[in-house]
Amino acid sequence: MPLLQMKNVNINYRLKNRQVRAVRDFTLDINEGDIVGVIGESGSGKSTLAHGLMRILPGNGYLEASTITLNGKDILNISDSEFRKLRWVEMSIVFQKAMSALSPVHKIFGQMYDAILAHKPETGKEEAIKKLEKLLAVVNLPRKALDMYPHELSGGMMQRVMISLGLIFNPKLVILDEVTTALDVITQGQLLDEIKRLVKEFGLTVMMITHDIGVVNELCTKIAILYAGELLEYGDVKDVIFKPLNPYTKALVESHPDLNPHGGGLRGIPGTLPDLSNPPEGCIFYDRCTCRLDRCREEKPGLRDFNNRKVKCFKAGEFNG
Amino acid sequence: MDKDILQVKDLVKYFPVRKFGKKQYVKAVDGLNFSIKDGEIFGVLGESGCGKTTLGRVINRLEHEQSGTIEFMGGTISGKEYRKDRHFRRRMQMIFQNPYDSFDPRVIIYRSMDLPMKINAVESDGRKRLERIIETMNHAKLTPAESLLTRYPHELSGGQLQRISIIRSMLLNPKFIIADECVSMLDVSVRAGVLNLLLTIQKELKSSMLFITHDISVATYLCQRIMVLYAGKIMEIASSDDILKNPLHPYSKALVSYSPTISKEEKMRYTITGEVVTPIDPPPGCRFASRCPIAKEECTEREPELRYIAKDRQVACHFV
Repeated sequence: MPLLQMKNVNINYRLKNRQVRAVRDFTLDINEGDIVGVIGESGSGKSTLAHGLMRILPGNGYLEASTITLNGKDILNISDSEFRKLRWVEMSIVFQKAMSALSPVHKIFGQMYDAILAHKPETGKEEAIKKLEKLLAVVNLPRKALDMYPHELSGGMMQRVMISLGLIFNPKLVILDEVTTALDVITQGQLLDEIKRLVKEFGLTVMMITHDIGVVNELCTKIAILYAGELLEYGDVKDVIFKPLNPYTKALVESHPDLNPHGGGLRGIPGTLPDLSNPPEGCIFYDRCTCRLDRCREEKPGLRDFNNRKVKCFKAGEFNG
Repeated sequence: MDKDILQVKDLVKYFPVRKFGKKQYVKAVDGLNFSIKDGEIFGVLGESGCGKTTLGRVINRLEHEQSGTIEFMGGTISGKEYRKDRHFRRRMQMIFQNPYDSFDPRVIIYRSMDLPMKINAVESDGRKRLERIIETMNHAKLTPAESLLTRYPHELSGGQLQRISIIRSMLLNPKFIIADECVSMLDVSVRAGVLNLLLTIQKELKSSMLFITHDISVATYLCQRIMVLYAGKIMEIASSDDILKNPLHPYSKALVSYSPTISKEEKMRYTITGEVVTPIDPPPGCRFASRCPIAKEECTEREPELRYIAKDRQVACHFV
């Protein structure tokens, strides 16, 4: 049984006079031990999805779905107080901007101890210190980081603090929301190596949200391609990147400048995202697609299974990846 | 082609900082020597804090150097010399990282495009200027030009605005363009379009470019030669191919090996530890020594000189 099961997840934002349908009909199972890279450009709804799963959407956002289960347990129809009990204990999230996620006026220890107290109020200070010391060692931070303020740490170190914060209760599922985006190349690489190791050590299942295919290629086992709020393709990383079934995936890979160029220069994708307050009837990528059919305009392709992968495109298979 | 358009000699730029009342200096750019050939795209590669942006700003005279000379198209522009050249701004233009910050939010795009041409007296007739703007925009496939021109910056997407910003810098037919991380804020699918536009226009104008970036894959796609900076010092200057396939300096090696790529094979890491340190009154010796896996005693005592290894290839390391 999959660890996280999502069926028909819809997330909308209410605005003054309209509704933005940021995530539409998202269905995906994440198995235990998978490292799933969720790839999308800005406005694709990838962060919205993560926030929706954690129930931390802003006030005007709301989530609808037919089912969401974590480890077989329904987490869709439970109350907020019940959800609060399993948030961070069974699934946690690490945010992009460590700088703004940590409070600048409290020492690291205080902030981490806070998180522990919120879920296990009986924990003593001594016990917490012991636990946190171990945790910091796991992410290669010195012990003295506990007594420091966030501004005394570098970007990479802060992100390590955030990751160790997410691991406090040894959750099954960790969502990493653009954790390496603000970091320098070398720091990013070091952190990715670290995450790889942690996944093995803790037996984690990871949902990694990013816009960088290179990062997904190095870290993840599975990849989900998100475009304008819809899942267009899902499968093993190497399959999807090197033999894309969906035209958007192909265009995305081809517009990525790379150290080992795929020949023929960069292509890019002309056009812009469709208006999500009034999404088109047919295929969401219709406007920018180079191999569209007439039926794509009116008929929405469903997500179907195709050689161990899921893809949303009428031409998948005939379309030469 | 082999003539130099820009020559930088011993360029130094320090920023004073006060720490516990003591005056110290961040040595952002510390004695750079390099030259850029006519018609070349020259990449400056480095992590945050290596001085790459400062370098761009000093060359464009937005900052003033402590010492050193910059020669541009046969004349000196360092110090206040650039003011003697009335056409300096016309010859050298800069493209900034954030397009939303490089347009006046309160005037329509047309005004922002028209003004530089007016100031630099490229064309006195307003109608002809407008024709020129529209023509260039159509050429860059920014259509419909008329409707884009009447909009305000916030009404456009980042990709569109960055393309307009590129076109704006080209309207004066500059000989030299400084592009400071000009694609780092854009989405991948948009970025490719902007890079290609930059390439086409550069070829048409036959201008040279200083391309500042932290992304090695973008640098190798665009540039002929790349200069790797670390903490205000040059580590290596070589052709893009050499940097990519055969980096010599340990720092370049690490940069290449840590860059995420789309490839089928697992890449070997050239492991280094630690993080970039801001060069505030740095100790003598090689700036990279504290993180370098092959550092020896010598490295902390004596600073390696930037020396020629082959034609067009310079490295600053004792052990290369």
